[in-house]
Amino acid sequence: MISNMNFWERILYILQKYGTSYLKGAGTTLLIALVSTFIGCIIGFLVGIVQTIPVDKKKDSPVKRILLAVVNAVLRVYIEVFRGTPMIVQAVFIYYGMSQVFNVQLSMWQSAFLVVSINTGAYMAESVRGGIISVDPGQMEGAKAIGMTHVQAMMNVILPQAFRNILPQIGNNLIINIKDTSVLSVISIVDLFFVHKSVSGALYTYFESATIVMVIYLTMTLITSKLLRLWENKMDGDENYELVDVMDIGTQLGKKKARV
Amino acid sequence: MSTENVILEISHLEKNFGSHVVLKDINFQVHTGDVVSIIGASGSGKSTMLRCINLLETPTGGSILYHGEDITNPRVDAPAYRAKVGMVFQNFNLFNNMTVLENCMAGQIKVAKKSKAEAKEKALQFLQKVGMSAYINAKPRQLSGGQKQRVAIARALAMEPEVLLFDEPTSALDPQMVGEVLEVMTALAKEGLTMIVVTHEMAFARDISSHVIFMADGLIKEEGSPKQIFGEPKEAETKEFLSRFRNV
Repeated sequence: MISNMNFWERILYILQKYGTSYLKGAGTTLLIALVSTFIGCIIGFLVGIVQTIPVDKKKDSPVKRILLAVVNAVLRVYIEVFRGTPMIVQAVFIYYGMSQVFNVQLSMWQSAFLVVSINTGAYMAESVRGGIISVDPGQMEGAKAIGMTHVQAMMNVILPQAFRNILPQIGNNLIINIKDTSVLSVISIVDLFFVHKSVSGALYTYFESATIVMVIYLTMTLITSKLLRLWENKMDGDENYELVDVMDIGTQLGKKKARV
Repeated sequence: MSTENVILEISHLEKNFGSHVVLKDINFQVHTGDVVSIIGASGSGKSTMLRCINLLETPTGGSILYHGEDITNPRVDAPAYRAKVGMVFQNFNLFNNMTVLENCMAGQIKVAKKSKAEAKEKALQFLQKVGMSAYINAKPRQLSGGQKQRVAIARALAMEPEVLLFDEPTSALDPQMVGEVLEVMTALAKEGLTMIVVTHEMAFARDISSHVIFMADGLIKEEGSPKQIFGEPKEAETKEFLSRFRNV
């Protein structure tokens, strides 16, 4: 029967039979990608912020300096290890390793979120560090000059600008995660790629199923990049601005006449 | 000049970057209401000295007494000190992620812990003073250099500082914009604001300031009233430097 069909008929047949499975798989993929990118960004921001804490040899106590040096060394190792090894290996390593070495039995879902999050975090940490460094040093000086502490300057001036600078990187990571969660099928996460493997295994329709999955992945990533672009535009704000009537300000201040 | 109303007293201030000595032995005082102009060639250490006074650079020697307290002591709360000694930069350094109004409110709310309403009123008041109140909704990138600098001055004033430091405030501006910034600074000087101004605007130094300091090679070579420095400079270096500005 399926062997008598042409290409399009086979695709239709697969969709009728397994359409909901593909959609569920796509949902799983999207869920892991979104949540893990979000958590990864938080990790990345925390690591990036710690890595850019200034050290003043004269003013800071030796305890603070040593502690910071140790923390930074640990963070470097984290970044290098998770950037420098394939996620598919990390997934296996954590899923099986946690139970054998630390006697912590993680579910495959927990492992999935964990692996993708800390992987994203390692990449984001570098992006955030770059984003912070790329903000004009004058911004920090301007903030300090009106009495802000390092933390206040970071929260109110530097990080909002760094965030805007690295928004394209965050988008990149989200799109990479949508595609790369496919490696999680190695720990039996039923994502879109897992559905593809099952369907093509059952019907021997590798090309047709791959076509469907390609279209679904591409749809997800295209919509994602469009939404991210809209977000970027919104953050940049309006190109124009309204001049405010000076008389209004005068009355706001309780004065009769406003003079410029 | 009495010693009672001394705000800042700088003694034997030194600064070096590695083996490069920028400031050798700087000594001077600033009294309430003084408008001190610091002139000198590029590389003479003027800006570095001003940045040391605001602790943006850490001095390598000497002391800076603010109402008798040495602020070069590492235990001093630098942010609290900076809130009282404002600074206006050559490159404005307005916060790019905020509107004009937010720029003038941020310090008041975060540092001075004022209420939003109070901060807004004060911000509008100072923006009006510098003639920028119509632009409260604009972002810094939408303004001209002169406009940015006037907002930067309003931002510094909104903290109601005791002393305001100006680091070559007109050096990054087109000639036609220099005037609008100098006008604001002149008005502030006449109102009695204590100011230390690093500048290449000799007309401002001569006509507006109460005290002029001439620096060269990391040292104060000559200081005195504008009349004295511009009228009858004693040092050969001062004469040489001023001769380049004959036409002001």
